[in-house]
Amino acid sequence: MTRRPFRLLPHTADLRVEVRADDFPSLCAASVEALFSLLTDRRKIRRFERRTLDSGSGSPEERLLAILRQALLLFSLDRFLVREAGAMMNSGTILVTVHGEPMDGSRHSAHREIKAVTAHALAVEKGPSGFTARFILDV
Amino acid sequence: MRYEDISLSQLSETAWEIPRTGGMLVPGLVFASREMMEDIVRDQALRQVMNVAHLPGILFRSIGMPDIHWGYGFPIGGVAAMDVVEGVISPGGVGYDINCGVRLLRSNLEMATLRPRLPELVAALHGEVPSGVGSTGYVRLTLPEMDKVLAGGLRWAVSRGYATEGDVESVESGGTLPGADPGAVSDVAKKRGLDQLGTLGAGNHFLEIDEVAEIFWPEAAEAFGLFPGQAVFFLHSGSRGLGYQVCDDYLDVMAAYMRKHALNVPDRQLACAHIGSDEGRRYLSGLAAAANYAFTNRQLLAHQVRETVQRVLGMGPRDAGIRTVYDVGHNNAKFESHEVDGRPREVLVHRKGATRAFPPGHPELPAAYRDVGQPVFIPGDMGRGSFVLAGAPGAMRLSFGSTCHGAGRRMSRTAAKRSVRGKSVFAEMERRGILVACASLKTLAEEIPEAYKDVDAVVDVVVRAGIARRVARLSPLAVVKG
Repeated sequence: MTRRPFRLLPHTADLRVEVRADDFPSLCAASVEALFSLLTDRRKIRRFERRTLDSGSGSPEERLLAILRQALLLFSLDRFLVREAGAMMNSGTILVTVHGEPMDGSRHSAHREIKAVTAHALAVEKGPSGFTARFILDV
Repeated sequence: MRYEDISLSQLSETAWEIPRTGGMLVPGLVFASREMMEDIVRDQALRQVMNVAHLPGILFRSIGMPDIHWGYGFPIGGVAAMDVVEGVISPGGVGYDINCGVRLLRSNLEMATLRPRLPELVAALHGEVPSGVGSTGYVRLTLPEMDKVLAGGLRWAVSRGYATEGDVESVESGGTLPGADPGAVSDVAKKRGLDQLGTLGAGNHFLEIDEVAEIFWPEAAEAFGLFPGQAVFFLHSGSRGLGYQVCDDYLDVMAAYMRKHALNVPDRQLACAHIGSDEGRRYLSGLAAAANYAFTNRQLLAHQVRETVQRVLGMGPRDAGIRTVYDVGHNNAKFESHEVDGRPREVLVHRKGATRAFPPGHPELPAAYRDVGQPVFIPGDMGRGSFVLAGAPGAMRLSFGSTCHGAGRRMSRTAAKRSVRGKSVFAEMERRGILVACASLKTLAEEIPEAYKDVDAVVDVVVRAGIARRVARLSPLAVVKG
């Protein structure tokens, strides 16, 4: 599995993110890592705890949205920061396993507030060189 | 004028129509000058105006204000009124930060005497008004107490000594929206809000100390209690994580409703339900509860500003005279009475990044403002100043009693940061005579003045269009950001 770094696409007010990966589960995991890279410096996060996110069923866009919303809620509700994420397909749903730790103000800082992962212009595309996701974060 | 496949007809110097095409049920109407329109067409905002025009039950026009820019679902700066029987309610027409809004506090303080104490005051406000990601307020709610905030709004704040009856009179809808039901707010949303009451947040939220620099309409300024050289305090915040979660929760509910009723809209973020449906009514109850949380949040911030200023300056409440001029939201959906096709009707007005701007004589205005119109506050950017406006009669004819909400972004966050690389934003603001205290340098770089449209140009459009009237200009002297 190969993951490429995410990039920010032009957007007037919010953050429009593009993520690429070889397959759809990897795309979900890479998107979660991109989300946390935009929140904080992931290199400072330790791999202390593990959490699992479940996409449920639906279209690829709906499953990615479900994963990203749960990932953001890890931070918004529990102040949990993700260092890395891995994913696997399980009976049609995607299970994303994340490793990280609760935010510690003495070691971690938040770059910005991310209010939500929006469904606007959310896209998952399969091309000859793998999968691409584009999503917009409300900041 | 044509941009890609969007055709635009210029109706006047300040108004443009997007004719009905495809599934649009009404035309689009955008307030902008020709120069501004050349900027506006560069992003997706006009296409979003057209998308909104597809929503069932939309009346008159899908409207865009001159601070319009690309949002999600609705554009930021979008207004749409819906028929209450055939129309829909869309969380994407309100936004994640439900009832995000602004409050202006006036004072008895003159800037000339306050200026020497500004550094000390800004440091104290930055220390005592919680701001930034993860900040927590000085009030910790239990779940039963949270329900009282959601149901009561500013009435809860009065009962706990954080607000006066004067505050209640000077807040849109008295700071308590009817129909709020704490049961329509999920436990997750409530938990997100437990420790965030009285927090500013981050991003474009701020606390500013401004000087009243210029008065354009003396009678209205007098009614609002404003005079030249006066120190005023300007707050911008909303419903924090609780509101974001209410929006997220109901987008799922609306998506399920649309599948069940085979409703189609051009953008997933425009998910909606008929206003009279169980789903629609439940969202409206949750929306009102989140709006009450936002009113209370800004009230607690105002309370903390009052206490801090009085302590630092060694003054009592009477001498400092810090009182609410007005508090008004710019992300909401409210039932209002408007004239449509020559007859009065009750409609549901969505305002996403647009401010209610009722004209003189409107029965919902506080008695003190009824002769001049509702106060409207237009924050510019942190370098160039802001405006106090008053709602004007044209707003009732053209925009369902609405006007703009700010300068509106014109530069992406990445471009803003790129443009300041290697420079000190602090030094640049100091050069302009503005003190800045902030929780995040990244946020500060994203919020540089150049990232926004020229607020003078935006205000000029709404004034010439007859939907608002200039009252005063405010000059920033200190900014606290999250």
